[in-house]
Amino acid sequence: MARQSGSSEEYARPIRRLLVGALLVCLFAIFLVWRIDSPRAERFRAALVDAVVPNMEWALVPVTKAVELAQGVQSYARLQQQNQDLRRELQQMKAWKEAALQLEQENAKLLDLNKVRLDPALTVVTGQVLADSGSPFRQSVLLNVGAARDGIKDGWAVTDGLGLVGRISGVGDKSSRVLLLTDAASRVPVTIQPSGQRAMLSGDNSALPVLDFIEVPEEVRPGDRVVSSGDGGVFPAGLLVGSVVLARDGRLRLRLSADYERLEFLRVLRAQPADRLDGPAGLIGPLLPEAEASLQPVEEGADG
Amino acid sequence: MAELTATNRWTMRGVFLGLVALIVFMKLLPLNPGPGRFPGPDILVLVTFAWVLRRPEYVPVWMIAGIFLAADLLFMRPPGLWAGIVVIASETLRARTVQLRDQSVLVEWLTVAVTVTGMFLAYALVLALFFVDQPGLGATLIRLISTILVYPLVVVLATRALGVRKMTGGETDQFGRVR
Repeated sequence: MARQSGSSEEYARPIRRLLVGALLVCLFAIFLVWRIDSPRAERFRAALVDAVVPNMEWALVPVTKAVELAQGVQSYARLQQQNQDLRRELQQMKAWKEAALQLEQENAKLLDLNKVRLDPALTVVTGQVLADSGSPFRQSVLLNVGAARDGIKDGWAVTDGLGLVGRISGVGDKSSRVLLLTDAASRVPVTIQPSGQRAMLSGDNSALPVLDFIEVPEEVRPGDRVVSSGDGGVFPAGLLVGSVVLARDGRLRLRLSADYERLEFLRVLRAQPADRLDGPAGLIGPLLPEAEASLQPVEEGADG
Repeated sequence: MAELTATNRWTMRGVFLGLVALIVFMKLLPLNPGPGRFPGPDILVLVTFAWVLRRPEYVPVWMIAGIFLAADLLFMRPPGLWAGIVVIASETLRARTVQLRDQSVLVEWLTVAVTVTGMFLAYALVLALFFVDQPGLGATLIRLISTILVYPLVVVLATRALGVRKMTGGETDQFGRVR
């Protein structure tokens, strides 16, 4: 076979170079567009992820379960010790359960006495974690609930039942992305109890996010409870976030209550925008229907 | 003969796409959501380089661009930037395939290490230029080092398991040219 380095080769090379150059220009143009008009680009990304990832659910979920099963088998080696630990924990829990039952009864009685109505706006949507971000520098997970069927909106708080996990950031029709509190872009206003200090919880890609902008750091102790403060109207107030720890670098950080090792089912809190109080006349409670208002004295009489 | 190599080439492109899909899928599995201990290697880049250095015709440049743009979008990275850098790097490696064909694996490893380091530097530089938030230096360094260390493993996998070997002297392409 002779070498046929004919004319086609000589022309092909510069043309190829030109095409590669055009390809590069396109790619960097995409990056520039993303940098200039980030919300639109992120919406496009959410739509793309929404189109791709839920279709892989049939494969993603079983494989995840299988790997978790394999990891579970490994822990059989410490079965005996785990069993004992669990028994001890169970005993403690029984004590707690008793206390909780008594408190629940007491609470029910008090609520009944007060005629408290719980805010019906604070309902939850539970979703399953489909995928994580795939990059070690982005802390987010993808849920299988979205805007079309479940009415998820950007900014809603997400918990796992134990504590705050993050917020919705990016919604598709069938999926939504949860920005975890540990992501470098996450900022949440919090209150430290019992001192009542306000602080900002900012993630930095480590397991313990930093507590910034504490007014009087001397009043804060490791072990203090931290709840969301609801400042800025982004989050509902009073959601448990975690407890304060003093990190090795001397900064006050937060140990999250949410179990980040096992993010499987997450609750998205439907938050309605709070009423803005613009003028002095804005503070008026909801108008009760006439019939219900007239019924109330009768109920009270029956309870008493 | 010509037909056979052409079909073979398209099958191998299919194999490459399948491999890429598998890697992306594994990365998306929600096994360890939340902050990980160590950022692992960038396997996608390594696989691409190992294939480009062995059989450049199996991984055409448009395929690389498409794959990495999709990966940028799926993995929440700034779209287009990493894809562009990977295209540039893969083109420089593609230009060296003939030189590297007769060299030992060690030389190839060194070349890839230098290329990957350059890519990480360029990525960090552009992000800094455009004021985009960046992960910490320590995490990036660990990722870079683990990426470089894992390369021989990826090469072994490509050559032994998938049969992507370097061209030997007598082989010709579909036009009968010695490459």
